[in-house]
Amino acid sequence: MQELLGRIARLDPSASLGLRVIACFDELMVGNVNTRALLAAAASLAGCVAGFHSETPAKTVRIDPRGHHAADVRPEVDPAFQQDASDGLTVWLERNGERQPNDAIVLERLALAVRMRHGRGRESDHRRDLSLLLDAEVDVQARCVSAITLGLRPGTRYRVVCAPLFAVWPEHPQGPEDVVATRFGAIHALVLPASAHEVAAVPSGVGVATEVEDLHHSFRTALVALRLCDPPAVGSVLADDFGGLIGLLADAPDGSFQPDVALVDAVMAYPWGAETLSSVVRSHSLRQAAREAGVHHSTMQSRLETVNATLGFDPFEGYGRTRLGTAYLVWRLRHSRVLDLPAPTATPRGS
Amino acid sequence: MTAEVQPVARPPFDAELRAGLAVVGGMFPPTITPDLIDFMRVSYAAPPIEDLLVAKGIVCTDDVVVAPDGHEVAVSVLRPKDAPGERPGVVYAHSGGLMFGDRFSGIDLVLDWVSDFGAVLVTVEYRLAPEHPHPYPFDDMYAALEAAASRAGDWGLRRDRLVVAGASAGGGLAAGLALAARDRDGPVLRGQVLDYPMLDDRGTTASTHQFDGIGVWDRVSNETGWTALLGDARGTEAVSEYAAPARARDLSGLPPAFIDVGAAEIFRDEAIAYADGIWRAGGDAELHVWSGAFHACDIFAAHTSVGRAMIRARNDWVERIIAD
Repeated sequence: MQELLGRIARLDPSASLGLRVIACFDELMVGNVNTRALLAAAASLAGCVAGFHSETPAKTVRIDPRGHHAADVRPEVDPAFQQDASDGLTVWLERNGERQPNDAIVLERLALAVRMRHGRGRESDHRRDLSLLLDAEVDVQARCVSAITLGLRPGTRYRVVCAPLFAVWPEHPQGPEDVVATRFGAIHALVLPASAHEVAAVPSGVGVATEVEDLHHSFRTALVALRLCDPPAVGSVLADDFGGLIGLLADAPDGSFQPDVALVDAVMAYPWGAETLSSVVRSHSLRQAAREAGVHHSTMQSRLETVNATLGFDPFEGYGRTRLGTAYLVWRLRHSRVLDLPAPTATPRGS
Repeated sequence: MTAEVQPVARPPFDAELRAGLAVVGGMFPPTITPDLIDFMRVSYAAPPIEDLLVAKGIVCTDDVVVAPDGHEVAVSVLRPKDAPGERPGVVYAHSGGLMFGDRFSGIDLVLDWVSDFGAVLVTVEYRLAPEHPHPYPFDDMYAALEAAASRAGDWGLRRDRLVVAGASAGGGLAAGLALAARDRDGPVLRGQVLDYPMLDDRGTTASTHQFDGIGVWDRVSNETGWTALLGDARGTEAVSEYAAPARARDLSGLPPAFIDVGAAEIFRDEAIAYADGIWRAGGDAELHVWSGAFHACDIFAAHTSVGRAMIRARNDWVERIIAD
């Protein structure tokens, strides 16, 4: 996989390979794989033998980049490439020569994963600072400590940006970032100053601005914004554009009973459904909706007659607007494919 | 009526392989549409292999063979440097969805047969779709197979111990070569190695629909590849069985086949059906369906437990067929 990392770096010099290493080990830890598998991944990522030694029982394991056992004799290892995983547990990379860019992160993640596999340190929370900061369940004091460790200042407002690991970043803004586990899988989270309204990453969601103790809320709104993306038409979504609505969407349980969403489903079954509803929710009148959709107003009128009959209410009247707008957004979230489908560059860069 | 999207039921990926996808996804996205072909041609181009050849004691000689339309097809003949005389021969078709890759793509696994079993490997720069649709890729491969027999002396090959092999799109081409060699009284083959082969342009199997937007080479990628190769003919009765061997009506009289495939990939069902077809016709096939495996996981994640098991099982079979 070292060779694959090299290819990714050549295709996109701004790609964060460290994030991929972290995501790789996160999956290995979730999968609860054994020491050999952890060493094999480290060796494959680093392109050199990875080793493990435990004092009791006395055991040495060395694995090469193809996943095969090397002789189980513990060699002399440069202390710079060795790390204690826990009491009596040591891991290392057998790098002869220059330190490679990913060596430190591979070794750190390997040590953590080996520690977990061997049942050490299951008591405490080993998540990294950004994961702690973005978790509302974590004590607010602990979150503030994490924020300070990450270089964020209490009393200052920031936004969380969410993107899949496969997102394309034409330029990469600087800020604390990490891979954070969510129920949608591993998500790339990045904290930026409140003034950062737009990021170029596709797809990406930009959360609302909050102070550090509320960044978990920014994260949740960023995740909703991300799931509203629909590249290439909608590459990045700013949570601010939906005001307080996005907080309600973030709080709504997935499987909640939403009869209006079923009605939207029925409208979407028409070939013109998606285009028509997208125009209606952004318009104040039939004529404007027709312009938005680029159809004649008589066409829009006949479509709206069907919409009204299907929904059982008029989307331009009173609470009808709110009902349709809300149901339309929930429908988009429930049908979101943005986290399934990666969005690689259509044209290679840096080649 | 429900507003919920039902998730697709599908076998899970192995944990080590799922971890591997975090890296693989950066250069080989699950869904390849026609606008990504240029990206894939850069991303999937083989890295330089000179150091690897030196380390494995392999000598590489470049040559050309002539396709029916006069095109000169580049081939590389790879042989162990300390094994003189005539050696068992392998004609190899590389992976890359018929649209990308080159004759050294994924070659490291096949080089084991040269270094460990003393085989001579002929790997072929067949022309790629969509610029060169069927029959160009197939004709280029068949020209190389015929040359391996007719120029066996020049290339140091044993004419009586030839096998064809290929991975993914190359696996489909290798299966097509075995069919054509039988039909045309061509070179006698001792075996066909079909790694997770791309056999069926119809895209109607259950496994094709289980892996959409996930893993390596999904339903849409497969449509992109077959459309590049066959154009409007894809899915119609006009498709040749040499292009899509799943369409072959007669699978008798073929050389022994080794077929491996992942349980968690779209080619699972067509690979199983092909092995089954060979058995029904009284032929010899060894089929391995690897639990938790995504497409070509042995190439992308050779270090994993599943990857190693796949490589070991295949190499054991190849050793049985070709080693002295």
